[in-house]
Amino acid sequence: MASDRIVERRRVFQQYKEDVKERGKPFYPYAMWHDTIMSLVVVCVIIGLAIVWKYSTPGNHIGTEPGWLGKLYDAPADPGTINFVPRPDWYFYFLFYLLRIFKWPESVILGTIGLPTLFLVLLLAVPFYDLRAERRLGRRPVAIIAAILVVLSMGILTYKGATAKEALGSELKALVPKWAADEGYTGNKQAVAGANLFAVAGCANCHTYNGAGGQYPGAPNLTAEGAKNKGIAFQIAHLKCPACVNPGSPMPSFTGLGDARLKSLATFLEASKGKK
Amino acid sequence: MATRRLTRQEQLQQTIMYPVDWLEERSGLVGGLRYFLFRKVPGDINWFQTLGSATLTAFIVQALTGSILAMYYKPDPNSAYPSIQHITNDVWAGWLVRGMHRWGASVFIILMFMHMGRVFLFGAYKYPRELNWILGVLLLAMGLGEGFTGYLLPWDQTAYWATVVGININGTAPFLGPFIAQFLQGGTAINPDTLARFYAIHMLMIPGAIFALIGLHLYLVIRLGVTSPPWSKEAAGTGPSPNGRVTKTRRGLMRPGTRRNGR
Repeated sequence: MASDRIVERRRVFQQYKEDVKERGKPFYPYAMWHDTIMSLVVVCVIIGLAIVWKYSTPGNHIGTEPGWLGKLYDAPADPGTINFVPRPDWYFYFLFYLLRIFKWPESVILGTIGLPTLFLVLLLAVPFYDLRAERRLGRRPVAIIAAILVVLSMGILTYKGATAKEALGSELKALVPKWAADEGYTGNKQAVAGANLFAVAGCANCHTYNGAGGQYPGAPNLTAEGAKNKGIAFQIAHLKCPACVNPGSPMPSFTGLGDARLKSLATFLEASKGKK
Repeated sequence: MATRRLTRQEQLQQTIMYPVDWLEERSGLVGGLRYFLFRKVPGDINWFQTLGSATLTAFIVQALTGSILAMYYKPDPNSAYPSIQHITNDVWAGWLVRGMHRWGASVFIILMFMHMGRVFLFGAYKYPRELNWILGVLLLAMGLGEGFTGYLLPWDQTAYWATVVGININGTAPFLGPFIAQFLQGGTAINPDTLARFYAIHMLMIPGAIFALIGLHLYLVIRLGVTSPPWSKEAAGTGPSPNGRVTKTRRGLMRPGTRRNGR
């Protein structure tokens, strides 16, 4: 059976070659003409995007104000920053948003590594499990459905990633008194200072706290972090080097905040025993 | 008179053809080019099949604009950001070249996905073109690698922190993860060498691999030929039987001569 198929597909390819040789048209000028037009369109689109990027930037078209296509450049990199938004280029949004679907820490590795690797292997192997010679779309329902699902899910993930709002430090800061009241550390000045730091240092870009933040990626909910009673020393060590105490953690180091601030953050985390 | 003119023409022809013949005799390149240009393709190929060459064009734009940017960019944590500002604000047409590189990357990646979608829907990855599909998927992975490594180079906040998290995510992979992260960073954490490393990966290692893969990809396209659209009733290779030759009135595979005469 299998060898029949091999004989048949060789025959079909042989016939293809004869058909094309006999009645095909030369690449130049026919196909090359279309290719040239298409390439010109591509170059024009690229130039057009570059122009829009530059000339939609407000003011005199320089600086860090975003235009229609985003900023020309952001503020300079600062490893010691206390406020940042980790956001990849748009074509990685689907991967980035995948992280939100999985729960930290048990299954987040599925989102970061598992699914993308699986998808890549499935993609590489397409010609080896789709062995039928049939190419007409109407007779390849599985392939069509798979294609639609892939496009749809990547599209939705990209859209979700693009529209995910970063929590603004100033908005979060207004929530701090409510947080303190909810979790009962209003009297603990250092914990409140830590909560303010938490609000502005970009933590809520990944983590959820008391129903706020948590737009990006698969990071744990910290509302009741203190209930785990890990201790202030652990929290500081973790903030300084997350992967050292929590192997496999993708969280960046916050050593740049300095010891005093880290102490406040740790106090705040330990005081967060969950909503009362 | 007539003979003399002919001789002159012949002389001229010989003078022009001499370097061509010289090259052909020593390399065979002229014959190769002739084969490339005048090889037959199915008469019913359509616009969707220009996506591959469009992707190649986008890559060439990236290679050219990238080379120009490399003349001004400084892969050092202290001067990278100022050099990006210099390119964007001071260098003549620097904003255009950088903008083309920045957005050409997006166009390149979209076109790779569209080209892949076309090949998938046409079933063009099937026998005997399996290898070319694999080369294409590798090219897609390389292209995404270019996107990842290039994103850090402006050395601004967005670039820096997206890359920190990106490297950390790579680092969570089982077994290989820590090695990948260490290789990318040039150490156990992002450090001053990381930027130069990303620069080297972005403009030497991956582009070298992409050039080689594109070469193989095109070689296989030329060797195996272009597929007809699957919906075409006249598609090459799908005739009713090996000996039942179809009549010449079929529309799809037009003879070039017929087409030139009036249709």
